[in-house]
Amino acid sequence: MPLANKIRVCGDDLIGIDVSNPAEADSLAERLRVTGDWLEVVGGIDTVVLRFDAATLDPDFVVGRVHETTGMDMPAAATSAEVVTIPVCYGREFGPDFDAVCAMLKLSAEELVALHAGHVYTVDMLGFTPGFAYIGGLDERLAVPRLRQPRAHVAAGSVGIADGRTGLYALPGPGGWVLIGRTSYPLFDASAEPPFALKPGMRVRFIAEQQP
Amino acid sequence: MTLEILKPGPQTTIQAAPRTGQRHLGVPASGPADPLSMALANRLVGNDLLAPALEIVLGRLTLRFHSQTAVALTGAHAPATLDGKPLPLHSTREANAGDELQVGPAEQGARVYAAFAGGLQADEILGSTSTYLPAGLGGHHGRALVKGDRVAIVRHERPVGVLDTPDEFQPPMSKSWAVRVCDSAETAWLQDRRQLFDTNFSVAGRCDRMGIMLEGAAIAIDSDGRMSSAPVFPGTVQCPEDGQVFMLSVDAQTTGGYARVAQVTRADRHLLGQLRPGDHVRLLWRDQISAIEDLREKLDYWRAWLADIERVI
Repeated sequence: MPLANKIRVCGDDLIGIDVSNPAEADSLAERLRVTGDWLEVVGGIDTVVLRFDAATLDPDFVVGRVHETTGMDMPAAATSAEVVTIPVCYGREFGPDFDAVCAMLKLSAEELVALHAGHVYTVDMLGFTPGFAYIGGLDERLAVPRLRQPRAHVAAGSVGIADGRTGLYALPGPGGWVLIGRTSYPLFDASAEPPFALKPGMRVRFIAEQQP
Repeated sequence: MTLEILKPGPQTTIQAAPRTGQRHLGVPASGPADPLSMALANRLVGNDLLAPALEIVLGRLTLRFHSQTAVALTGAHAPATLDGKPLPLHSTREANAGDELQVGPAEQGARVYAAFAGGLQADEILGSTSTYLPAGLGGHHGRALVKGDRVAIVRHERPVGVLDTPDEFQPPMSKSWAVRVCDSAETAWLQDRRQLFDTNFSVAGRCDRMGIMLEGAAIAIDSDGRMSSAPVFPGTVQCPEDGQVFMLSVDAQTTGGYARVAQVTRADRHLLGQLRPGDHVRLLWRDQISAIEDLREKLDYWRAWLADIERVI
């Protein structure tokens, strides 16, 4: 079914295409990667942004090619049957925002863990930093916004929530997700091929791990 | 063919061509924060413009050569000596085994680049030898250089002549910068877009290869912190709900959850690598077509000295 996707300018050499969900973003991004010679094609939760070579291409040409591509039939995104189990130490120094989330949502620690662990979620996309996974399907009772000001330093393995998703920090770095725990699961291994443990469409389950 | 770090400075890394085409896997670009200055250094020693070289944040580096090699410095203005004799920026010198290269504190600009004939030996991962510190990728064991590190220089065949960058190709350094930007996806969320262009921003203490925080005004934005994560790029200007805007740089994450209110034009992204805390920044608005004209004009200008400039900026 052809889609009437809205196209927006995101910069002099960046064109964004609105889509309705991560699976559609992944599928359109894959399609764009094979049908055009773009510098980058990056999917978001509800958008795809491509970077083109503005030294040689004009925006009119790029938008025309994007319209041709979005007009094509979209293949359904593949989902995996396997469920990856990810152990999480919730709260304390592992999840510096855990207590604040309990207070904000009026939940006990046990209730918060029960709402997050045990369920099967789907990886929506990778992004942010190498191996960082955006995992959809969070219980709506865990709806919290991102931090108003991002942290300069978040530890590797941190488990954050925000905007109906869980985010897994494979690497240390800055970040604005609300941190409730941490995992020792290897999300990124520079020497492995592929170096990223998770990919879009994979299914995962968190289990509460006894804190050391 | 090695050099030895005697004093590493606040942060010295090996940078080379960026990682490209992998942002959808979360892999940032990396590479020199000021690729134009790095290309100028490589040009002076006869290297490929993006051959692995040293990016020296704020200067204060000392190294010793263990072999004869041609060296050139560019970028931030910093006093430097080679074997005790003044070493001007933008000029090739032949270093002998045992010579020390000393780079003093940068006075204007944030990053000095040092290139060596043949280029530096560095770890290649995900298609590039550039260092990405948060994940420990590339460069010299994925980290900033420390005292005692020995870095190999790739053997080169051709003799290197002594060159000077012509005056008109020596980029000016400043404590006050103008950076051209285009609108981005969430520009319409700003309560008054002119606030971005009427503010004399200064660079905050949080200023590194990931991004540069600007202070000077809290930009008024209609946003509740629930934006879906969306792709961001080096040069993306983001505005959290508290209105403290920050500009993403070469190690920027690939997606982010804060409103994208402007995008530094490709023509001016290389300037971000020379901003340092306390510098003043004005954002100048361009429409998309004008920005692309600016880019092509800039490329045409630089092509006279850097033949494949479009690979660089």
